[in-house]
Amino acid sequence: MSKRFLSYIACLLLPLSLIGCIEEDGFKNTPAGNFEALWNLMDEHYCFFPQAAEEFGLDWNAVYHKYKPLVNECNDDAELFDVLGDMIAELRDGHVNLSSEYGTKFYWNWQLDYPLNFSDSIQRNYLGRDFRVTGGIRYTELPDSIGYVYVGTFSNQFGTGNLSQMLLNLKNTKGLVLDIRNNGGGILTAAERLASSFAKERIHCGYIQHKTGKGHYDFSSPEKLYLEAGRGTVWLRPVVLLTNRGVYSAANHFVMLMRELPNVVVLGDKTGGGSGMPLNSTLPNGWAVRFSACPILDAQGRHTEFGIEPDVKVNMSSEDWNNGRDTMIEKAKELIFEYYNKISERQ
Amino acid sequence: MTNVISKVAAFIAALALLAIPTTSRAQHFVTDSIIPERIVVRSTTYGASLLNSLDTYLSGYDYTGAALYLQHENFRDARTGNYRWKFQTMLNGTLGYTTQQYYGQIVGLASYSWGGYHPFAIGKRLKLLAGVQLQLEGGALYVPGNGNNPVAAKLRTAVAASGMAIYRIPIGRVGWTVRLQLDVPMAGVMFAPQFGQSYYEIFGLGYASAVVAFTHPVNSPSWRHMLTLDIPIRCRRHSTTLRIAYTGDIFQSNINYIRSHIYRHALSIGFVKTIFKIKQENVLNAYSPY
Repeated sequence: MSKRFLSYIACLLLPLSLIGCIEEDGFKNTPAGNFEALWNLMDEHYCFFPQAAEEFGLDWNAVYHKYKPLVNECNDDAELFDVLGDMIAELRDGHVNLSSEYGTKFYWNWQLDYPLNFSDSIQRNYLGRDFRVTGGIRYTELPDSIGYVYVGTFSNQFGTGNLSQMLLNLKNTKGLVLDIRNNGGGILTAAERLASSFAKERIHCGYIQHKTGKGHYDFSSPEKLYLEAGRGTVWLRPVVLLTNRGVYSAANHFVMLMRELPNVVVLGDKTGGGSGMPLNSTLPNGWAVRFSACPILDAQGRHTEFGIEPDVKVNMSSEDWNNGRDTMIEKAKELIFEYYNKISERQ
Repeated sequence: MTNVISKVAAFIAALALLAIPTTSRAQHFVTDSIIPERIVVRSTTYGASLLNSLDTYLSGYDYTGAALYLQHENFRDARTGNYRWKFQTMLNGTLGYTTQQYYGQIVGLASYSWGGYHPFAIGKRLKLLAGVQLQLEGGALYVPGNGNNPVAAKLRTAVAASGMAIYRIPIGRVGWTVRLQLDVPMAGVMFAPQFGQSYYEIFGLGYASAVVAFTHPVNSPSWRHMLTLDIPIRCRRHSTTLRIAYTGDIFQSNINYIRSHIYRHALSIGFVKTIFKIKQENVLNAYSPY
């Protein structure tokens, strides 16, 4: 009997001989260790190396050799923070950030290198004093029966009831000027819910991928993204969507969804981009890192990381700016009038 | 009558082999007129655990901290088979908080296991049991500030090889009982997202076809070891059994380039309750106040 037990124990212990400990990343909490940890984290997880190489010739190995000597010259953590922040800025991605007690390192040039194309002072001339607010969305009815809706952020989820009531309040207007300029993003599902308010049926609007390994080209096959039909009130009249370079991340995603709808025209400047869903991690010293991890492609399978071109390119003119007029809103109103004029002509 | 006495004697012998402490009340209770069908030894212990968690889906570095720990065990004879099999069910709960530099992580895990054992007696006081255990565990590691990847969900089931050694230490009239148990998962399945896959894609969009992985000791080298000490306590006419338990729960996995481990070392304390289940016909012969 004891022999049987011993043989059983032998069988039990045999797999144990294969067992090893699964441990954390092997980088030390030193300036060099934190540099290596950050560079490797990006090297293995960041999802836009192929696009960055094609768009602006990024060579991530060259970045390593450029910044490695600078790390050795750092005298304190504040200097290290600056060097590491500069290193990740080489990716030119607003979703790649480094956070610590010294602040947060952002790459802003995707917005700062381009015209503002938005003024909240001028916007006041259109919103007036009687605008309504629902779920953070400001809206009003402009003269000539045009609805104006400003969505400045997707940081909060919208209630379906709130969106339905907003659209019902604008039911006497001919069309909507949907303004998302300077909307830096937020919750992806908030953008999807608002876009659903303009979709009467489920439509294919893009693809999503994820990394399957540590290589720069290790990606899953694209899975289809759908825009669901609206559950409440659905707006099917003309919509002109206003964009500028400040439209980023979830707001860029919103543009990608809306442009697939037949009654929507995108007007303004190219969006800022930011189509990679960011994930978070940390360095050995506890500094937080955020990076683009899951690329989202449009319905044609194209990356929108570097922005989406509008259907109608319009910039704010200096003359209008000085006169308190919003060139984009005025052009949007014209488009809606043209739409109805064409219908009248056909009839 | 001789037959009944021999059955009782056999039963008591089986009880000794089981080496789970019986209370003094139980010894008074077992008479030649009552034959327990089986004995269930039930214990609940509460304690604290040291916790070390890693999941490279959240961070590449360990979170360490402490947790509250609960363990409930049910150990009984087989209903049939001449009491040659013993069955154990165990429920473990862990709720803890761990930190890494500036960040906190909430850990919640619950596990259930069911095992069947065959006893091997070696000597008078030592008993060895070997068997198979079915394990089920679920829970999550939650880092509130982690944006789109705040959670690493844990869900796994496995078939484990399990063994225990039980020794009765001759202290006092009843004796203390020490038990060492080792459970090693041999094969199973677990929830395992792909390397860079977001939970939005899995749960929000429903693309979850490749999130279940086969586990074995190479890609998920895990085990649980447990040491318990049962101490009979008698106070006047009342008696009970105190249990002090140490449980080491080592879970590890390296699947889809995501490395994970949860190390728990728990010390818990509680009481053991021994329940004698009696056949209905024997109940009729038992003492009744009516």
